[in-house]
Amino acid sequence: MIWKTAWNNVWRNKVRSLVVIASVTVGIFAGVFSIALMNGLIAQRINDALNDEISDIQINCKDFRINNDPQLVIKNSEAVLSEINSVSGVTDISERTIITGMANTASKSAGVQIIGIDPDKEKKVFTLYNKVMPGTGDYFEKDSKLNLALIGQELAKDLNIIRYSVDSSAIARLREKGLSEKLISKLDPIAGKKFSNEKQFIKEMKSLFSKAEEMKYGLLIRKEAWSFREGARMTLTFLDKDNNQVGAVFRLTGLYDMANSMFEKSSVFIKNSDLKKLIGMNEKDFHQIVVKISDVDQTDEIADKLAQKLPDLEVTTWKKISPDLAMMTDMVSQFYLIFGIIILAALAFGIINTMLMVVLERTKELGMLTAIGMNKKKVFSMIMLESVFLSLIGAVIGMIVSYILIRITGNTGINLAQAAEGFEALGYSAIVYPKISAGFFGIVTILIIITGILSSIYPAVKALKLNPVEAIRAE
Amino acid sequence: MKILEINNVSKIYNESEVQVNAVNGVTLDFQEAEFAAIVGPSGSGKTTLLNLIGGLDNPTSGEIIIDGTNLSKLKSSELIDFRMRNIGFVFQAYNLIPVLTAKENVEFIMNLQKWSKKDRDERTFELLKAVGLFDRANSRPTKLSGGQQQRIAVARALASRPKFVLADEPTANLDSKSASTLLEIMEKLNHEEKITFIFSTHDARVVKMAHRVITLEDGKVVSDDIRE
Repeated sequence: MIWKTAWNNVWRNKVRSLVVIASVTVGIFAGVFSIALMNGLIAQRINDALNDEISDIQINCKDFRINNDPQLVIKNSEAVLSEINSVSGVTDISERTIITGMANTASKSAGVQIIGIDPDKEKKVFTLYNKVMPGTGDYFEKDSKLNLALIGQELAKDLNIIRYSVDSSAIARLREKGLSEKLISKLDPIAGKKFSNEKQFIKEMKSLFSKAEEMKYGLLIRKEAWSFREGARMTLTFLDKDNNQVGAVFRLTGLYDMANSMFEKSSVFIKNSDLKKLIGMNEKDFHQIVVKISDVDQTDEIADKLAQKLPDLEVTTWKKISPDLAMMTDMVSQFYLIFGIIILAALAFGIINTMLMVVLERTKELGMLTAIGMNKKKVFSMIMLESVFLSLIGAVIGMIVSYILIRITGNTGINLAQAAEGFEALGYSAIVYPKISAGFFGIVTILIIITGILSSIYPAVKALKLNPVEAIRAE
Repeated sequence: MKILEINNVSKIYNESEVQVNAVNGVTLDFQEAEFAAIVGPSGSGKTTLLNLIGGLDNPTSGEIIIDGTNLSKLKSSELIDFRMRNIGFVFQAYNLIPVLTAKENVEFIMNLQKWSKKDRDERTFELLKAVGLFDRANSRPTKLSGGQQQRIAVARALASRPKFVLADEPTANLDSKSASTLLEIMEKLNHEEKITFIFSTHDARVVKMAHRVITLEDGKVVSDDIRE
């Protein structure tokens, strides 16, 4: 009877209850969806970092990571590789030669890290081969007498390898993608003109379009005006093993595009064999071995086993290589807790306010209930249940809405194109796929019930303090 | 059989440095199945006396003993439980629970006392029939007239077979026809269920039907007229 009375009481003042329920719904939706969004961002960042940038475990000579000294090589690599392969959980490995140098074109140069790889082995450890931009070439697929290099789109922009031109084919593509004739006509002053770098092109666009137009269509126009000459070349200069400066011309086998623009600007991939020849390094020596494992949760255990087997080398896990990622995974639950507490506290004040009004309005009735023999425990329970019902209805609706939207956007992704540059500068993709575990909804349900109970305490205590004689007399 | 003893009970209120003797040295006994009215002018202490008898208020001095239990010896939680099991209340403003149906209002106290569903249903339908509202069992109070609501309140007060029912001006808000119907029902139930009814009232019709009329003035009993 107490449950039924409490439930019916929720609907006595429908408008007021619906306002509270709506606020709880919005609060829960905002909280759950924001957390799902952050989960998606973090999962994508970690996934990208492990699959494209650093892998699960790296093995180097001690001090190589600090000094980047090309003399610090892993010798007798066959024995080392065999030791690594003997550890269970290791699925794939790839050897790398790493030096720092300069990438140069006729007009620009940039400091880069040159990574020598075996493309076939790398494919098993990293997914970079999937990130080669369509129309720019391939991932070391074609044989060439020239040295080949794979560079990031951002480095290509810095080196003026990418150009921008609003030619007739770009206009046709823009028209196909729905750009209005009015906007296309605004591009007339720069039709056929070639821009050797992105900054100049953006500057020109800003002079032709309003801020709103530029915000809305700038990215599309840039994308369609983008041009890259397949087979473009650049030179790489660096020091060989005897500290003599050497350099060579490299033909670009393709451009890669990934979420991390810093990585794109600084990482140039060439073949191990080409690099070793240029710096005079022994064919069987390497600077680094990257290791892929079957279960990322086993990283520390496998790294410990590798360290035991290779005491002269440094075995480093992704958490140590990229402490920001490790911190994110460790801190995120604490952040969610604080975030959740803030949202629930805000909701609690709304519920307390409503329940205080309820007690005030029902003074006479509560007095009557006490008079006819409803004890304090039951009065308290009734007020508490009303508060929990109010909270829980809103929470359930909020969670259902969140679940549906997370399912939809988890498949389609949310394109934050307007903030793409900022996101990519930090290593995050502009397309976010929100995700959340089913267990999280259980936690939210428990937390909202606790919030409902806590919010009812003060109003319920007020109700218990009512003197039945005075309460019955109240108007 | 004596079910209620009021021994030299006084209630003094301190209102802005002035002491008000709302009830002043009242001594009364009530027997089983009495149909008694407490009358008197406004401010004579009728409602205060009823509140004291019902354990809703504490006397300043004296004692109230219901079926051998001295109310002043009970703790607050024991007193609430005692009220639930021994005293029925009918209020001037009906005071039904608006979100429950007539049937649910009647069985509310039986629910608090954890009666079985079968017993609850039997008693509820018996009382709804007795007050002539069996066909309105599923109506909420807002769908009932004032007289019908007060009849449901009487059924609720009697539901758990209390020792006595305290009714504070039960006909004050009713038209004469509804008041007559209500009084007839209460008298019938008093007779059939052997439950004592104690009214505070100004209503001459109640006084006329009462078997005993106690008159209060300035908190004191000035007459106690038992009729045959």
